[in-house]
Amino acid sequence: MVSFHTLEREEYFQNPPEDKSAYPLLAEAVAPHVGSFNALTTGGLLDLAVKDIGEKTVFDSNDPDRRGNKLTFRIDEIRILKPAVSNKDKTTISRRVYPAECRERLSTYRGRMSIKFVYRVNDDPEQVENKDVGLVPIMLKSNRCHLEKMSPAELIRQKEESEELGGYFIVNGIEKLIRMLVVQRRNHPMAIIRPSFTNRGTTYSQYGVQLRAVRPDQTSQTNVLHYLNDGNVTFRFSWRKNEYLIPVMMILKALVNTNDREIFDGIVGTDTTNSFLTDRLELLLRTYKVYNLHSREETLAHLGDKFRVVMGASIDQTDVDVGREVLRRIVLVHLKGDEDKFRLLLFMIRKLYALVAGDCAPDNPDATQHQEILLGGFLYGMIIKEKAEELLNSFRLQVVSDVTRGVGVNFADPKYINKVFEKVNFNIGQKMQYFLSTGNLISQSGLDLQQVSGYTVVAEKINFYRFISHFRMVHRGSFFAQLKTTTVRKLLPESWGFLCPVHTPDGSPCGLLNHLAHKCQITTESIDVSRIPELVRTLGVSSPNIIGSGPELCCVQLDGAIIGWCSHKVARRVADSLRFWKVQGTHGVPRELEIGFVPPSNGGQYPGLFLFSTQSRMLRPVRYLPLDQEDLLGPFEQVYMDIAVSPSEIMSGLHTHVEYTPTNILSILANLTPFSDFNQSPRNMYQCQMSKQTMGTPGTALRYRSDNKLYRLQTGQTPIVKAKLYDDYGMDNYPNGMNAVVAVISYTGYDMDDAMIINKSAHERGFGYGTVTKVEKVDLNEKRRRGEPITQHFGFGSDQWPEEWRAKLDADGLPIVGILLEQGDPMAAYFDENLAKTKVMVYKSSEAAFVEEVRLLGDDGDQEFQSISVKLRLTRSPVIGDKFSSRHGQKGVLSQKYPTVDMPFTESGIQPDIIINPHAFPSRMTIGMFVESLAGKAGAMHGIAQDSTPFQFSEQNTAADYFGEQLARAGYNFHGNEPMYSGITGEEFKADIYIGVVYYQRLRHMVNDKYQVRSTGPVNSLTMQPVKGRKRSGGIRVGEMERDALIAHGTSFLLQDRLLNCSDYSQAYICRDCGSLLSTITTVPAVGSLAEIRCRRCAKKLVSKAAASTTSDDAREIWEDGAGNKYRGGSNTTTVAIPYVLRYLDVELAAMGVKMKFNVEPK
Amino acid sequence: MNRESFVPPTSQTSSGAAAAGRAFQPVQAITYLCASCAAPNTLNRSDPVRCKECGHRVLYKQRTRRMVQFEAR
Repeated sequence: MVSFHTLEREEYFQNPPEDKSAYPLLAEAVAPHVGSFNALTTGGLLDLAVKDIGEKTVFDSNDPDRRGNKLTFRIDEIRILKPAVSNKDKTTISRRVYPAECRERLSTYRGRMSIKFVYRVNDDPEQVENKDVGLVPIMLKSNRCHLEKMSPAELIRQKEESEELGGYFIVNGIEKLIRMLVVQRRNHPMAIIRPSFTNRGTTYSQYGVQLRAVRPDQTSQTNVLHYLNDGNVTFRFSWRKNEYLIPVMMILKALVNTNDREIFDGIVGTDTTNSFLTDRLELLLRTYKVYNLHSREETLAHLGDKFRVVMGASIDQTDVDVGREVLRRIVLVHLKGDEDKFRLLLFMIRKLYALVAGDCAPDNPDATQHQEILLGGFLYGMIIKEKAEELLNSFRLQVVSDVTRGVGVNFADPKYINKVFEKVNFNIGQKMQYFLSTGNLISQSGLDLQQVSGYTVVAEKINFYRFISHFRMVHRGSFFAQLKTTTVRKLLPESWGFLCPVHTPDGSPCGLLNHLAHKCQITTESIDVSRIPELVRTLGVSSPNIIGSGPELCCVQLDGAIIGWCSHKVARRVADSLRFWKVQGTHGVPRELEIGFVPPSNGGQYPGLFLFSTQSRMLRPVRYLPLDQEDLLGPFEQVYMDIAVSPSEIMSGLHTHVEYTPTNILSILANLTPFSDFNQSPRNMYQCQMSKQTMGTPGTALRYRSDNKLYRLQTGQTPIVKAKLYDDYGMDNYPNGMNAVVAVISYTGYDMDDAMIINKSAHERGFGYGTVTKVEKVDLNEKRRRGEPITQHFGFGSDQWPEEWRAKLDADGLPIVGILLEQGDPMAAYFDENLAKTKVMVYKSSEAAFVEEVRLLGDDGDQEFQSISVKLRLTRSPVIGDKFSSRHGQKGVLSQKYPTVDMPFTESGIQPDIIINPHAFPSRMTIGMFVESLAGKAGAMHGIAQDSTPFQFSEQNTAADYFGEQLARAGYNFHGNEPMYSGITGEEFKADIYIGVVYYQRLRHMVNDKYQVRSTGPVNSLTMQPVKGRKRSGGIRVGEMERDALIAHGTSFLLQDRLLNCSDYSQAYICRDCGSLLSTITTVPAVGSLAEIRCRRCAKKLVSKAAASTTSDDAREIWEDGAGNKYRGGSNTTTVAIPYVLRYLDVELAAMGVKMKFNVEPK
Repeated sequence: MNRESFVPPTSQTSSGAAAAGRAFQPVQAITYLCASCAAPNTLNRSDPVRCKECGHRVLYKQRTRRMVQFEAR
């Protein structure tokens, strides 16, 4: 039951709890981010990563015949400490650095990272060196953050929100988060038909089987099997952004000691009558003979020989060792054992042949079934791993270059090792900060990802809805944004319950930028499944060692490892038993296990029993009917399950699960749209967009923030009509709008075309009043190059400076807190030693602002006071042109503040706050808004909060009846209409007016930020045309289409005015004879006469002798240019009006040897 | 107050100050509050921004004591 909880909320704000937050759902919403970051350290991902990097080796000999001493080195451990002040700082009492300080100081919330560098010379004992590798940004509320387990009361003491969620980083004072990315489901071979596969070579077909193998440290390596038209199969992988192709037989033979018979049986199995398969197998085995590699050793040696350089192998490794390394680091890296890899590879080949033969359908890579989420923390760990490996490599390269240059290399001497340390860049922290602040991935390997940029976004705090949505946002990848096809953007039924069908933007990112359903969680921890193989064995699954395969056998896989074979019938029983135990929590089956049973079908998905236990999977809670308990479902298994949407729908013998509530499929924001099930669906999408642009309440700790721009609604209210989840998510702590009495009536004409009228008295009482806070940083360091001494100091010097500066500035040169700054006012004064002059920084914006706060910012060292941040407050009372919206995608522009006396009134004397036009409804069909109006009116009269959760009403029990009844009880018309009287004439309207209470949002698009006027102003110096852009006080372009319209109307003078007179009108001189614009020049006037314009080209140059022989009559015809040359003729010039760009065009063409000739008429 | 309007030149004779041996002399009677412990602090020339009590690195300027009056329109 929803309620206003007025007293509880007051109590909660006065005495924040000392134990735990009252809103656990909020923490759950960001759990994927925080959990994945925690997994780096407590989950041991970084330890696994350094183990996977392994040892590097280098020798100290220059002599090709002799190796010399061997130095092996590795990283043993990566540690990350909590953020603290630097060790050099002796004055600070509290060593901890809290996030609030980083926000205020516009610095980065980062902790020290160090590595344990272990090295060994020859076979001597290992030596350990602890190295600092820089300050690495720390995720808030993670286990490396001071806020991790703080209660709301403690958080408030640390200047945080009481419900601080964490999950983001603070980089240079900006809150950044790594967005979640959709990637292919790990460790599952996916059958793909992709026409572009044929581009790889002549025999390559469009068929392939792709597997994204993920190592325990969450880095991945994709392997693809390609089908060649002759029946052969090639194994493809990328390594350091290069593609390599190997015959799959070579991999098979290298993995285990095997023979052709075993391979044949492993793929064909009992299916020996399938001639399609046997023919291809024969070819596969036969064509491999040309390599003449028989034993495993031979094959490994061959591989090692080919990949020695690629793998960067050390010279003391044998070819076989290198071959093993290739298999370990590239082939099916999610598996440890070569046997396992061999078996899975056979399965993949079998699936590939089935795909080619048409026995199975291709898997859809765009379906959620075959997707998982790449989490921010894991990506962060992947980058740290890569940078750590780069560090080892650059250490090795430094030694190698020392050896070749003949520098004294002595491994035994710690001094030498330290010298190498000094030369190698150990600053991983800086690289991580670069990654977070730009979102660009600089990587040698590419990390098996398809994009290089766009990994991070700013967690904007426009309002709380916007902020929380960032953490539920899932992007498909910027690679798909360029794709012309729309298939990736389609909403597929597979995503039911995992991705919200409503909450996606319209426009270019539509369908690519999704949001998780509010109950969808993502696993961040690996779970214990060690008992599963044994358990399935007891249920009738055979050992994986038997010769499996064949249409009758079902392959049982756990995280991409084949754990046995059984019949399809048994497999179904195994799946059912596992599910029962999983929900029950017995037999060591964890509840997060995904049990994907794909039944045999006629040309459908390749059958099998696929179990998944790893991280990054989406899961959602559903009620399991046999036990009446919660089950967690993944997208892979869901496709093959029968889940009833409502309890009434359950059919016994068919359904195994039922949804807890149908609203579980919606995102947090989509759930908050009242009565969204009554609306036309696009309107709900618009509302999800608009709620994120609302001027609301970004938070409560606004004093300690220094966002560039912060919007704030002064008097937000709790909506009378709200969904249950509104309270569960604690949205009342961040109100986003106000309840308004809304009349739907066409009243004065000021409500036409989505305009709305506001009651002037409502406006005067503060309806929709908001403020915008801007922060300007004044940093004297920016004017100075690094290393130069400080020469500028805040404050006034003893030189002469205008006294009026002191009207806005205090004696310290900083603005007076509370003063109004207008354009051109000084914002800070400083004394420049070099010039011995006092200067000011000027407030540039044309909108006046109040100085709300002035903060003096220190730096990490002991440098003199050099930077301040000034928080400015702009008052934004609603003005005509500002944008408002209800919660149903019904936006409108304020068109008039109408005097109360002229507003219509009801019989009870109520006058609306807002008037909107009835024409807003027929085409948009936002019935939910009508229902909200009814419910709001009834709620206001009875003093109750109304529940607007969607899917609560039915045809038998309608919302109109329910709320109509309440209205009737309050003495109102059942249908929500009321007789109203004109405020101007006092007459009753002919029709009853629909009037009720609707929650209105004020959107952040305000005319004050948008209006653009120009009469004259800056022009582009090259073309002399007006510049563009509001910021530069530029013009608005009259483009081709506007030009077309003016031509069509025949308004030629207007056209000329826009395109010439008000643009780049200029006068130019032209020669009538030769028609050239460029050859005319001004003469040097003779004494007593004016300068004239002559054509240099048509004139004849006079040689000095000829000049002497001229008569005096002729002398008047002779003119002189600036260089003193004399000419005769070329006087047929005139002045024309041209656009300045024409001259520019002429000059450009002349530079390319093209002449422009203009015919001037009349002659 | 728009940008194009004429702005009277503000600088006086520029060479005078240094030649006359005048240097930077801040008048520092203003106290700032520490963002962490709210202790009052004063800053002298070449002081780093540090709270004298706790060493915190952010100081707040206090609201002015003088009357601030605006036309509420």
